[in-house]
Amino acid sequence: MVNSTYQKFVKRWEEVMDLPPQTVGPLTPYYKALVRRLKVMPWPALVLCSLILVIGLYLLIGSAITLLVSILQRGF
Amino acid sequence: METSLIVAFVDFGRNVIGLVTRPYETCRRIVEKANPLELTYVGLVLALYFALASLVKVASFRPFLLTRQFFVLAGAAGVTYCLAVAIFWGVGRLVGASGKLKGLTVLWGYSLLPTVIWFFVTSILYVLLPPPRTTSVQGIIFSVLFLVFSITLFLWKTTIAYLTLRFGLRLGLGKILVVLAGALPILGLYSAQMYRLGIFRVPFL
Repeated sequence: MVNSTYQKFVKRWEEVMDLPPQTVGPLTPYYKALVRRLKVMPWPALVLCSLILVIGLYLLIGSAITLLVSILQRGF
Repeated sequence: METSLIVAFVDFGRNVIGLVTRPYETCRRIVEKANPLELTYVGLVLALYFALASLVKVASFRPFLLTRQFFVLAGAAGVTYCLAVAIFWGVGRLVGASGKLKGLTVLWGYSLLPTVIWFFVTSILYVLLPPPRTTSVQGIIFSVLFLVFSITLFLWKTTIAYLTLRFGLRLGLGKILVVLAGALPILGLYSAQMYRLGIFRVPFL
């Protein structure tokens, strides 16, 4: 048990020494809060973000989004 | 060799699931192990897509045209991949990156998976529901769903690309933004050229 905890500690220590945690000055808490949602199972956050963007786009350009999709569909 | 390929296949499967469920840990693990054999399976997935895209683009069973289209797409994607890795590596070194080229190469290969999924689904939808979309209720609902799908994959791709530069080049956010500011204009010009040649209208990055 102690050995396992110690091994985890050593692994984490090596990770931190290898690449220090990211900080962004006074915005660090917000950055950490955002990143926490993306580290494990990011899909709910990604889909929600996409949905908000698309609704915003629809409110902005209305049914012209169908034109955008028609262009994208020919984009492959 | 066979054993290595099987091990690489198992790792590839684990990493794909990991990129979906735990992208941060998985990207770190991919860079640590950096097994180039795993790129074989990324290449196979891409080849499957290029075969489908050739069928959709040529739209007739003419072996010569299909083969030519396949090699044009595969060649262009290969050149784009090498160019992207070279640019990120070159600009990264200029700003003091200390990562290993092998890690960057393997992880950038994995970052092509969201791209190929988008292209794959778009190709199939092109056959099932060919454009243009109308402004009817059904057309708008489809458009909203397609855009949500596209933006979600784009954000996933952005996350993996960021982690590729973070772990592959061992850089902080500030330097990653500098690398992107240096690399994206070049990749933008290259993508415009691909568009002009009619190979990829949406950049295959």
